Amino acid sequence: MAKNKPEGYLSGRESRRISKENRKITSELEKKRKRKNVPESEYLTKMHDPNNAVEFDNLHTYFFTDAGTVKSVDGVTFDVPIGKTVGVVGESGCGKSVTSLSLMQLLQRPQGQVVEGEIRLNLGDKAVNVAKMPDKELQHLRGNFMSMIFQEPMTSLNPVFRIGDQVDEVISLHDGEGKSEAEVKARTIEMLELVGIANSEGVYKMYPHELSGGMRQRVMIAMALACNPRIIIADEPTTALDVTIQAQVLDLLRGLKDKINSSIMFITHDLGVIAEMADYVVVMYAGRIVEKGTAEDIFYHPAHPYTIGLMASKPVVGKQVDKLYSIPGKVPNPINMPNYCYFKDRCEMCVKQCNGVYPCEISLSKTHKVSCYRYADEAGRREWEKSTEFIPDSEKGKGGNA
Amino acid sequence: MGKNQAVEDPNAPLVYDPQYILMVKNLKKHFPIKGGMLARTVGQVRAVDGVTFNLKRGTTMGLVGESGCGKTTTGRVILRLSGEKTDGQVLFNGQEVYDLSPKEMRALRPKMQIIFQDPFSSLSPRLPVGEIIGEAVREHNLVPKAEFNDYIDKVMDNCGLQPFHKDRYPHEFSGGQRQRICIARALALNPEFVVCDEPVSALDVSIQAQIINLLKELQEKYKLTYLFISHDLSVVEHISDTVGVMYLGNLVEYGSTEDIFRNPLHPYTKALFSAIPIPDPKAKMSRIVLEGSIPSPANPPSGCKFHTRCQYCTEKCKKEAPVQREIEPGHYVVCHQYDK
Amino acid sequence: MSDEKKNGNSNQEEQYSLNDDRRVKVLSPGAMVAKRFFRNRLAVTGMVILLVMFLFSFVGGVLSPYREDQVFYRRDYISKEYVGVTENTEYRYLKLSDEYGAVQQAMTVLAIQQENSSFDAKGKTYDVVKEGEGLYSIMDGDTAVGAAYLDIISAEDSSVTFSDEFQYNALLGLVKGGGSFTLDGEDYDVDDTGMITKGGESVAVCSRYIVQSKTSGVIISNEFREALIDHLASEEEVFTFTDANGETAEYELVYDPATKIWSVKQEVSTQVFDTYSSPSKEHWLGTDRNGMDMLTRLMYGGRISLLVGFVVVIIATVLGIILGGFAGYFGGWVDNLIMRIVDIFYCIPSTPVIIILGAAMDGMRVEPKIRIFYLMLILGVLGWPGTARMVRGQILSLREQEFMTATEACGIRVSRRVFRHLIPNVIPQLIVICTMSLGSTIITESTLSFLGLGVKFPYASWGNIINDVSNSFVLTNYWFIWIPAGVCLMLTVLAFNFVGDGLRDAFDPRMKR
Repeated sequence: MAKNKPEGYLSGRESRRISKENRKITSELEKKRKRKNVPESEYLTKMHDPNNAVEFDNLHTYFFTDAGTVKSVDGVTFDVPIGKTVGVVGESGCGKSVTSLSLMQLLQRPQGQVVEGEIRLNLGDKAVNVAKMPDKELQHLRGNFMSMIFQEPMTSLNPVFRIGDQVDEVISLHDGEGKSEAEVKARTIEMLELVGIANSEGVYKMYPHELSGGMRQRVMIAMALACNPRIIIADEPTTALDVTIQAQVLDLLRGLKDKINSSIMFITHDLGVIAEMADYVVVMYAGRIVEKGTAEDIFYHPAHPYTIGLMASKPVVGKQVDKLYSIPGKVPNPINMPNYCYFKDRCEMCVKQCNGVYPCEISLSKTHKVSCYRYADEAGRREWEKSTEFIPDSEKGKGGNA
Repeated sequence: MGKNQAVEDPNAPLVYDPQYILMVKNLKKHFPIKGGMLARTVGQVRAVDGVTFNLKRGTTMGLVGESGCGKTTTGRVILRLSGEKTDGQVLFNGQEVYDLSPKEMRALRPKMQIIFQDPFSSLSPRLPVGEIIGEAVREHNLVPKAEFNDYIDKVMDNCGLQPFHKDRYPHEFSGGQRQRICIARALALNPEFVVCDEPVSALDVSIQAQIINLLKELQEKYKLTYLFISHDLSVVEHISDTVGVMYLGNLVEYGSTEDIFRNPLHPYTKALFSAIPIPDPKAKMSRIVLEGSIPSPANPPSGCKFHTRCQYCTEKCKKEAPVQREIEPGHYVVCHQYDK
Repeated sequence: MSDEKKNGNSNQEEQYSLNDDRRVKVLSPGAMVAKRFFRNRLAVTGMVILLVMFLFSFVGGVLSPYREDQVFYRRDYISKEYVGVTENTEYRYLKLSDEYGAVQQAMTVLAIQQENSSFDAKGKTYDVVKEGEGLYSIMDGDTAVGAAYLDIISAEDSSVTFSDEFQYNALLGLVKGGGSFTLDGEDYDVDDTGMITKGGESVAVCSRYIVQSKTSGVIISNEFREALIDHLASEEEVFTFTDANGETAEYELVYDPATKIWSVKQEVSTQVFDTYSSPSKEHWLGTDRNGMDMLTRLMYGGRISLLVGFVVVIIATVLGIILGGFAGYFGGWVDNLIMRIVDIFYCIPSTPVIIILGAAMDGMRVEPKIRIFYLMLILGVLGWPGTARMVRGQILSLREQEFMTATEACGIRVSRRVFRHLIPNVIPQLIVICTMSLGSTIITESTLSFLGLGVKFPYASWGNIINDVSNSFVLTNYWFIWIPAGVCLMLTVLAFNFVGDGLRDAFDPRMKR
């Protein structure tokens, strides 16, 4: 093993070669992006299904880093239907946040680039490909059509401005045309009340540091909702919060889901949170989608070994096991990935075909898709159907304790 | 149900019982708030405000609570890592930790170790991993020089690290591996007692399971005693034999894991349990949503500290602080509801 | 749930080729910093400039054929006053008898002015007889008691003095247009030009003009004198004279009417300091005010400037680490005390203090070489508070990090905690702050040297090189004196700042791209 040590580091020549290639690729892409007067036809597109708010179509977002090209998102395809919540689950580095940043076009450029694929955003009367839009147009979309709730409520509010001013600003920037100051304030108060802040007039005048984490997250949600966006991206909105506060915020979000007609793209690593929130679930692993389907599909009939392992490795209250199941190994860093199933090496359910190229998407049902060779033939699928039959019962037993 | 009696006088000296590796009684740690012109003490943060529990040899005690409830401080105060305590007693193997001289304390250090939450800040960034693990071993002359390398290799192997990792620097490792390094560092000193301060909170789900399993394995192998601090109830339930629930510096409920999870008594414990999201989309929850957030420990509410958020709050709760009562054998709760 | 997941697993890690350890190569920590540094163009430029400056200063000084304080000379012609010629208009007196005293002399002047032929003095009557142009005899009866004259006799051999009697006879001969006389048994001839010869050999010359040598050690030959006196009449300003050895020299005559002196000036070739010479093949950047090679001075100056910078920063850093480290690690009253000292140091107006100390060293006539050491010491001692404050801040924040709690929990010695865990983590910031302060130290040193308080002649420093530009004439005419030193100084300081910025960005993981 000792001989591995020098291999672990890039030599000077390799590193120079990588830098050179990165420069070449990124400068070309940047040049394309910086052009003036991009004709609208270039980014106008058509939704495949007009009931979708967002369609990710074969999205490839790469980061050109010093260590090599990190394929953070490598061929991701899924839809966010209007008014529904799509949960994106995965571990750190699986590309779930990068997917959302690609939609917002907030990637750290020039390293981060959408190199292939389309992100179609439904604007109602037309649809645009966000990935090809010039920055100026994007500015108009952000806030109006899509907004984001960040993980860290502590740092995503500006500490030197009052809460009210910050919400006002968002409203007047995007939605405030022709609105008087009083009207904007009224709207802000309304939004603060919507997110369950009882003392909305008082909070309007407060500074962020006067609020607790849960309250700040409420304010962030209010800001995100302020302009009635078509899609809200919630990037781990409850991860930094305590359990009881998380419960409050989740309750709030669930309540809001019915009140507003926005779609929510809910990103988290916590399966429990996803189960509470999402209508559809997308499971990502190393930049690719390994499984997607409705919440029922994923939680009652998990098909991909990774999804199964993920669920088993989380201890559940009221269900004692002697030893937790743990997926061996660690989450791979998506650099120089080999072209076979990325999960193969951590997988304990491998079949013969797994040595082949990366498996393509297999439909288990109308909504349930999985990328795994186990379901490539009828036999595997039947076996799986048999083994999952009793799952709903056991899950019910699990949920009953609280 | 049990004795339902108030526990005896909190100020009586602890009597050492050899089955307990750690006995903590009425432990308090207040941090002064400096302010004003001459940095005078203008107030106190009551981070730990009277914690009492005993920890049996070879078992794991889980300490749960929300951020700011003082669970991390409790862990550190027990290890005498936060300066002097404010009040109370900490008996480690019958020895009052705070009575030791600095030299004696240093000699005792290897016996009680700590694993931190943040695997990124808990490793010296400019030391190679082998040095991080082996440094203290050499300081305390735990193994002869000739066996040193083999010993470190063995410890690393036990923690799922490979020998070639020794020459690498912490930043080259993923969170899970760093946590393994932290565990290896603690384990290398051959401790009896380890405080695990949220060791898996910063890790991915699949890695969490690995680390939890590793901790369990090591516990069996070396007969370790853990104080497992976490906000994740499911993890605590999985790993602990006994559980303590903390709220604003107080241990509000304390008992065996089975008792606590089967029959939570304190309204806060109940609310906490009901707040855990369950990975089942159809599960209908009768969730007790707590209003508001945790009050500041610098200015805790009078009486029962939980009364501001408690749905069973009575006038008595607002005025009078409840005392710890044993409801079932080994199941203690601090709540006026059980004053019968 | 499926059966597979129950197969717990403990011996992980081993069997996957997807394992990042083998598949993903990363940059080693050093390479990462280097890469980030080299990506910064300005920093690399700065680095190159610094390298060139170092080579220039430290290697250049060795390669230069000249020494730092080697003075160069050149031959130059300067107009030197050679002799002065005065026409005598005042009567002088010869005392042929004792009775011709001061009173008689005064009366003589009066008589000559009033053109009286006699005067009375002390009850006696003296006749004033005009013997000729510029000579009056004062007769007491037939005996000449004294004489008043204008023509001055100067001896060929300046050690010889002539008796009044000799002079009187000679003057008589002169005014009479030639003649001879005998005195003390010697025969002398006087011709009408005033040449007095003894047996054909000239002994003295009479002339209305006094020719005096203005340069010591110059003996004016009679030939020259005669030629000069002859020439005066022509009123031409240029006078050429060929001496006995056949060497011809040209002189310039300048008449000053106020003093009635002709100065005779000669263009003399002398060796002078080769000051302010323009760049040439020998001196690529010319020479300075003292005739020293500018380029060599620049190299040695750079050496001193850089050296002073480094030594000062090292002193300041060592003090800063020690004091800042103590303050940060121990906190409490130690911290308070050290930080108050820092505050006091911040209050000290360093420029006046240094100026005063510089002046004091001037007063004590400290040797230039020792002076440099003092300068380093003073600047170093004044420079540590910034470093100390930075180190303290860093250590305060590092001390709260969990890895420091971990070292405490492991029971590691305090000294080890400080030197193995704390200090190494401060080093990146320390390097940055050192690099930055190098630039400012060099500037300070140059400022002091420019003001004449820092490095002193004969040692060069970029500051005192620029100091040569003491007036606007030098500033406008001798660009090669101050522009190269100024450019060197500017480039070096700029380069240090660029490199410092580059290092800071390279060390800062937040700049990770």
